[in-house]
Amino acid sequence: MLTYTLRKLLMLIPMLLVITFLIYVGLELTPGDAVSYMVGPDALANMSQEKLNELREALGLNDPFIVRYLRWLGRALRGDFGYSLTSGVPIKDIVFSRLPATLELSVAALLFSTLLGSILGMASALKKGSIMDVSLTVAGMIGVSIPQFFFALVSILIFSFKLGWLPSGGRTMPGYTTFLDRLPHLILPALVLGITMTAGVMRYSRSSMLDALSKDYIKTARSKGLPEWRVNLLHGFRVALTPVVVLVGFRLPMLIGGSVVVEQIFQWPGIGKEFVAAVRGQNLPLVMMIALFTVTAVLVASFLVDLITALLDPRIRLE
Amino acid sequence: MDRLKMLEKEGLLKSRQGSRAVGKFLQNKLAVLGLMVFAVILLASVFAPLITKYDPAMIDLRSRLSPPSWQHLFGTDKLGRDVFARVLYGGRISILVGFGGALGAALVGVSLGTYAGYKGGWLDRILLRVSEIFMAFPQIILVLLLVSILGQSLWNLLVIFTITGWGSVYRMTRSQMLSIREEEYVQALKAFGLSDALIAYKHMLPNALGPIMVNLTLSTAMFILEETALSFLGLGVPLHIPTWGNILNAAQDLTILQEAWWIWVPVGIVISAFVLSINFIGDGLRDAVDPTQQG
Repeated sequence: MLTYTLRKLLMLIPMLLVITFLIYVGLELTPGDAVSYMVGPDALANMSQEKLNELREALGLNDPFIVRYLRWLGRALRGDFGYSLTSGVPIKDIVFSRLPATLELSVAALLFSTLLGSILGMASALKKGSIMDVSLTVAGMIGVSIPQFFFALVSILIFSFKLGWLPSGGRTMPGYTTFLDRLPHLILPALVLGITMTAGVMRYSRSSMLDALSKDYIKTARSKGLPEWRVNLLHGFRVALTPVVVLVGFRLPMLIGGSVVVEQIFQWPGIGKEFVAAVRGQNLPLVMMIALFTVTAVLVASFLVDLITALLDPRIRLE
Repeated sequence: MDRLKMLEKEGLLKSRQGSRAVGKFLQNKLAVLGLMVFAVILLASVFAPLITKYDPAMIDLRSRLSPPSWQHLFGTDKLGRDVFARVLYGGRISILVGFGGALGAALVGVSLGTYAGYKGGWLDRILLRVSEIFMAFPQIILVLLLVSILGQSLWNLLVIFTITGWGSVYRMTRSQMLSIREEEYVQALKAFGLSDALIAYKHMLPNALGPIMVNLTLSTAMFILEETALSFLGLGVPLHIPTWGNILNAAQDLTILQEAWWIWVPVGIVISAFVLSINFIGDGLRDAVDPTQQG
């Protein structure tokens, strides 16, 4: 297990290095002189060319590219990601202040889609070929074909404007203190995000359940005379659920990407909305850093998933 | 035996196999339905000038925000432009971007994957790592990142879709080639002394085309959805060009969302129907060319 972990780590680290390098190249390609972000505009206007060069030297901007990259990487490792171009706020603070909102939305959507998706998937595997199975498959395809934002717009129109049951956007209101106060704000975006994810979970758990049901131990359990529901639930469902749960774990960071559009529509103050605003405002340092943060989260999550699957199934680590 | 040889010479055996796949595809009701919806929407977009007399860019301030009528089938938008004409003409760009992006990604992915999958070695290992890096990004994050670097235009969008999409095509082609590589005829060709490129592209690639076509279809659907999402955010195709996403962009305005449903509901349904039809076709194709994938 230790060698397996080390081997996986040895694959993870170079990849992260390459990605940070690419991100840094992107940052360097940003139009404009880095000095202008570091010095106030008044001081910059009164500065002579020599003074400017001196300053560049002092800030290390004239060093070779690779040195600048390593220095930047060192700062990033210590948690200093630079500043947002538009507001001057440290990027680290922006990311961490937005993260809870995105996590709240993602976890809610994940719970919903996993619960609904795995139950529907297992049910259609048990009744393979039935009308229910076929119509669920078709419904799943319809689900992945409707643009997420269109689905969101229709649900806002119906549930917020026509019926007036739920708020159309935002995360909280003045005077709201507890999670329960905010819950109505969470329902619509989480449902929209969750339903669009359900199709994937459903397809996956259906094939996982079919796979489990075809195993010999299911026949053994049946031949022992166990009632059908016990066979399906305790022997089939439980085994089939493991890969689904692993898949879900891997999806959490991917959801930062998935929630970009939903957060924008529902004005949900999370990372996705911040990202869109940064792209719109050509705030490249912030764009790059959010992308780097997301990728790191995805890679670390998939590393952990690899470890968990290896723990559960010893065959994998011996390959 | 002689008869079989003769048939083979005339290429008849092959055509019969082809028709079996076609027959299988046509038996799939959903795939046929998909093909029909797909054809209707595609043809309507291509022949838009024959169907509507309106210019999608023509502003008519006297008939702003008028609801659907016989004159304007889908009504008019905030500037008095005919929404039906905009949906038809918008389809041209949206379909072009979706298909173009998928085609670009397939060209890059297949040409790299075919050779690297056959040869293996350092080239394959490097390309595999590179594709892993691209696939580690959540798709929309990478797309938006590239939009902010390259800027917004129709061509850039095609380039961006190619960059974000080639990785998965590469991996799929590569794995196909890895299994075809074990076939005896490849060993024979090698013994004949044929060049690597000739073996890989001329003799192995045609046997991997089925899954590649399925992938091309399904990624067209995905890229159409991505184009609409990007344009909806105002970050895709520049706003003055009508595309499906740009039409829906108007629904960000809450009064339009509430009062003028005809601007955004029909186009949303058209997008959903078109993407769904492509997904049905892709599913039917997969069952037809590769029965082992059937679940």
